[in-house]
This record gives sequence, structure tokens and C-alpha cells, in this order.
Amino acid sequence: MTDKKIRVLMSKPGIDGHWRGGIVVSRAIRDAGMELIFGGFQNVQQIAEAAIQEDVDVIGLSIHSGAHFAYTQKLLDLLKERGVLDNIMILLGGVIPAKDFAKLKEMGVANIYGPGSMTSDIVEFIQTHIKK
Amino acid sequence: MFDKNYLYKLELKKQEWEEKYKKLKEKDAKFVTDSEIPIKQLYTPLDIKGDYFEKVGFPGEPPYTRGPYPNMYRGRNWTMRLFSGHGTPEETNKRWKYLYENGETGFSAAVDALTFNGIDPTNPDGAPEVGTSGVPLYCIDSLFALTEDIPIDKVSVALVVEPFTCAPVCSMYFNMAKMRGYDISQLLGTTQNDILTMTVGYIPYKNSPPNHLLRLACDFIEWTVPMKNVPKWHPINFTGYNYREGGIDAIQELGFVFASACSHIDNLIERGWKIDDFVNRLAFHLAAHKDFFEEIAKYRAARRIWAKLMKDRYNAQDTRSLQFRFHVQTAGSSLTAQLPMINIVRTAIQGLEANLGGCQSLHTNSYDEAICLPSEEAALVALRTQQVISDETRITNTIDPLAGSYYIEWLTDEVEERVWKYMDKIEKVGTIDKALSTGWLYKEMRDAFHKRRIRLENGEETMLGVNKYPVSYDTVTDVFRTNEKAIEIEVNRIMKLKERRDNTKLEKILDKLRNVCEKEENVMPIVMEATKEGATVQEVCDIYREIYGIWEPPLAI
Repeated sequence: MTDKKIRVLMSKPGIDGHWRGGIVVSRAIRDAGMELIFGGFQNVQQIAEAAIQEDVDVIGLSIHSGAHFAYTQKLLDLLKERGVLDNIMILLGGVIPAKDFAKLKEMGVANIYGPGSMTSDIVEFIQTHIKK
Repeated sequence: MFDKNYLYKLELKKQEWEEKYKKLKEKDAKFVTDSEIPIKQLYTPLDIKGDYFEKVGFPGEPPYTRGPYPNMYRGRNWTMRLFSGHGTPEETNKRWKYLYENGETGFSAAVDALTFNGIDPTNPDGAPEVGTSGVPLYCIDSLFALTEDIPIDKVSVALVVEPFTCAPVCSMYFNMAKMRGYDISQLLGTTQNDILTMTVGYIPYKNSPPNHLLRLACDFIEWTVPMKNVPKWHPINFTGYNYREGGIDAIQELGFVFASACSHIDNLIERGWKIDDFVNRLAFHLAAHKDFFEEIAKYRAARRIWAKLMKDRYNAQDTRSLQFRFHVQTAGSSLTAQLPMINIVRTAIQGLEANLGGCQSLHTNSYDEAICLPSEEAALVALRTQQVISDETRITNTIDPLAGSYYIEWLTDEVEERVWKYMDKIEKVGTIDKALSTGWLYKEMRDAFHKRRIRLENGEETMLGVNKYPVSYDTVTDVFRTNEKAIEIEVNRIMKLKERRDNTKLEKILDKLRNVCEKEENVMPIVMEATKEGATVQEVCDIYREIYGIWEPPLAI
């Protein structure tokens, strides 16, 4: 147990520009006293690189393009290859059908936040599951 | 508008009534509009200010409050135009025909993220998104496939691309039409070409800086309308809808579109054109959001503001220059993934707002749009929703039916006044490209995002199924999935094109484009040549990136 703040990387994999969700969640995370690293548009290599360099506890992915399986799988494979997957919590938010939640969790995503999610729930989930 | 003695009598009676009212209890609620205009318990003739001729008038006559045309829906109904595109151009063509057979009266191409950003499917950064959020239109062959067997000489087509990819995608469309034997000077349609959609409505991926986007947008307006290459086309559609969806209010929505329109008009005037040479082809695309009466007042106020702006600021002489015409989309952000069938009700009410407000064309959302692109079934329900309004309700019997409502007329005045003030605020920052590059608009958007989040989280704004009577996220409704093979199909399409085309000839044309970009001349003539010879959207956009640079928007958190 240290006083170190929880570090969260918020990233938009791919090229889709729907940005409201990512900004709204970023602000909520910062307001909750966590350290926010806002990555913006990043490809999966850049996300993995930033996550390792910044020593983050959580990666939040904002995906509204319908391509959530493709990007998430690529990132998980890369993090596994770099040997850091076990140390980082992956959260997913965006236009993601509830039907896809089970498969995404099986792949290794800690939780998924679809339309209508409350930022307070996201903050609480992180604070409960990351033990510092 | 009313006799003084009559109003005096009314004032006395109203005071008496208010005394009685004060003794009654009101429910615990904030009586304000969505944009936080305080609303009184009752409106009477005492709230109506000004002269009927000056403020309201007749349809088809200044100030156009009651509509741009004398006959409005008694002449013909609004155009039913569903924003539609998914997977591949062939699949989108099939959907367009399906909707057309079911009574749709205009087409609108929703493109994918690669087409929006000028990225080819061979680029790994965007490859997983081929066709996932719209139709991929990367080369001229795609435009042939999209419009096969569709009467584009009779039905208008909206191409929803923005300034960065407007020239390549639209020139592909015009070249395709020419090759099919159509006279492009007769073509009907619209290009969105809206700088704010791809900067604050949606953030750009490797696009050029705003001053160049503004110039590209104006190049297209200039080439189509005053230069008379496609004079019947609407070369721009100022799309308040897209940023309204982020959470800005009705006042800001109109403020953004009018400030943006003025920046474009000023650019064209600087190029030597007269206001009446082009302004009557500029169009607008507004939202139909959750506040029923405020939205109707917004449409009426927008018409009046535009007429004044064109007359007083730009001294337009042609009456058509004063007519504000607009497309409406119902509010996607009001839809929920919880209890998706309720979305049909929301959309019907919002569609009715647009029609009571006198829109020229309407997109109604599908009930599944909170979770995926519309399925065929959901798109048909959306189309039928507009048809219920047009064919079953008889609301088209008379023009501007809510005019004369004390509340509506008062609210129209109130919205108008607030929009003028907000426009002044934007114009103090500068032209629309300055408002972007300085980050001012990003801060306005950011503040709107958070305001809406707080309103939803503290229940000030109701979303049934989410913050009132909450239910779990729906797992019942079918999820429409786009074609997983789209990447392969589109890569093949591009490969075949590249094998077929004369690369040496194309290189020379692209060199000329480089030169045109360096000199900041109108890009359209040379982009027409390039796409005819088989240049892809990315190949054109890469030259913009090379000459104009790539812009990182100053996002605010």
C-alpha cells in the first residue's frame, strides 16, 4: 500500500472521431483524483508503448466504430507479448452491444461501459478493483 | 399587435388570475427549456411584441418566419432522406433501393471513418473500420457501385463528406455521373462539407489545419455554384446537428452554424463573388432534440435570423438569398440502448417537431442506433414513422400551424435574441477557423459535454430506462453487424483500380495538384482530373497533408 495515485491511460484506438465519451470519462477520472494520461488517437502499438512508459494501472479504450473486437484483441495480444497484461486493467467504453460483453470479458477486458453508463460507476469500479 | 385598451383589460385580468395561481402548489421541477430559458406558467397576447408583418409575415415572404415557400407541405411533403451506409457500396446500394421502394424520396450516404479522413483500406491504422460506421467510398469504382440502377437524375443524393475529403469524393461522384451520360449541371444533391463536423462534432484523424479546411470548403462552393459547374447542387450544409449531439444547446447550435456560414460567405466575397451569386444554394442541417416547443421556435427563429443577416449584413437583393432551408435529423443522443423500442416514440415526437417547424428534409433515427448501424427492419420503422406523420396525421393541411401560439411566438423571439448575442460572442473570437485553432470552440464543446453529464447524473435531464425507471442494458434486440469481409473487398477494389489505371499519367496530374495546393488555387478542376484517372481519396488527401500539414486539434478535457 503506497500513496501513489491510480494512473489511467485514456485512448482512442483507430481513426473514428466520436470523442465525447472519452472526454467525459477522462474528466470524471481526473476529478476523482486519479492521474490521467490522455492519449487521444493511438494505434495499438502506441497504446502499449504509452502504457508501459507511463506505468499505468488502467487502460481505458473508447471505441464507437463497431471495430471493438479487432482493436481490443490486437492490444491484448501485444500487452501479453510485452509481459504486462497481468498488471494492467483494461476497460472499454463506447457503442458496444451488451451481446458482446461476455466475449470481451473472456478475452480479458475487466469491464465494458455501453451507452447510458454513469461515470460514477466507472470511477467506483476502478477504485474498488485497483488496490494500491 | 393588439389594441392598447384591450391589452390593459387583459393585464388586469391576468393579475387577478395570477393571484389565484399563487395560492396553488407547483410540482418540484425547474420550468426551463433545454437551453435554460425560464418559462412562465402562461403566455397571453401580453407577451407578443412587435408587428405581425415584421415578425411573422407570410410563408415565402420576408422575414420567412412561417417558411421559405408560399405553399410549403401543401405543395409537396418534405423529402424523406435516411442517412444510410454500411459494409460495402454494393450492400449500401441494396439498402438504398429497399428504402426507395418503400417510399423514401432522397438518398444520403453515410460514409465510414476512412472515407471521412482520407485513409485507404490498405492503411493498417484504420483497416478494422472499413465499412463499420458507414459506406466505404475510396475510389471512383465505389461510386459506380453505390448508385447502380438508382435514378440520380431524378432523386437528390446527399454526400456526407467534410471539407478534407469533399473534393475527391464529390469529384468521383460527378465523374461517375458524367461517364454514365448525365449532364452534371442538372444534378440535384448536397455535400455536407461542414468544417465543424470534422473538427468539433467528430475529431479529425490526420486532417489539415482549419484555415485550409475553410479554403477547401469554399473551393467546392465556388466551383459548383458561382462557376456554374453543378449549379443546382447544395455545396455545403452547415450541420449544427453534429455538434448539438455533443451537448451544446439550441442557442449554441444556431450560433455555431451562422458564425460558420458568415466565415464562408466572407471568403467567397473576398474571392470576388457577389452574395446573390451563391448564397441561395447554401443549406443547413439542424437537430430535432428533446425540448418540443424550443426546437420548433428554433427553426422559426433560424429563418428570421437568416433573412435579417442576408439583408442587413450582406445586402442581398435576390429574395431567394434570404430563404433559410434545412434538413433535420432526430436526436441520436436522446436514444437509449436500454428499452430500445422507446426510441421509436422519441423519434416520432422529434420528427413531428421538425415537420411542425417546416423542415425541407428529414432523417428519422432507427430504434437500434444506440448500439449499432440500423438494421433493415429498424430503418423501415424509421421511414414509416415519418410516413405516419405525413400520411396519417393531417398536419400538412395548413402552413406553420403553431404560429400565433402566444408561447411559440414569444419563444421564437427569445431564441432569436439569444442567438444574436451568442453570435457576437463567437465573432469576437474571430472567423470560424480561428475559433477552432485557438481552441475556443473545443472549450465550448467540453463545457457542454460536462454540463450534460451532470444533468443526466443528477436527474435534471430525464432519460427513461437510464436515470429514471432504470433497466439493464438490452440484450434482446438483434445487433446489426457490418460485413466482416468488407476489408478484403475494398482492398481488392483498390488493387484492381491501380492495375488498370495509367500511373504515369496520374503522377503528372497529382504533381499539378501539388502545385495548385502550393499556390492556394481552387483544387476542384485538378481533383476532377485526378479521380477520373483513378486517384484514390487518400492519394489526394496525402497531397493536402504534404503541402498544408497535419493538424492536431487542441482538445480540452
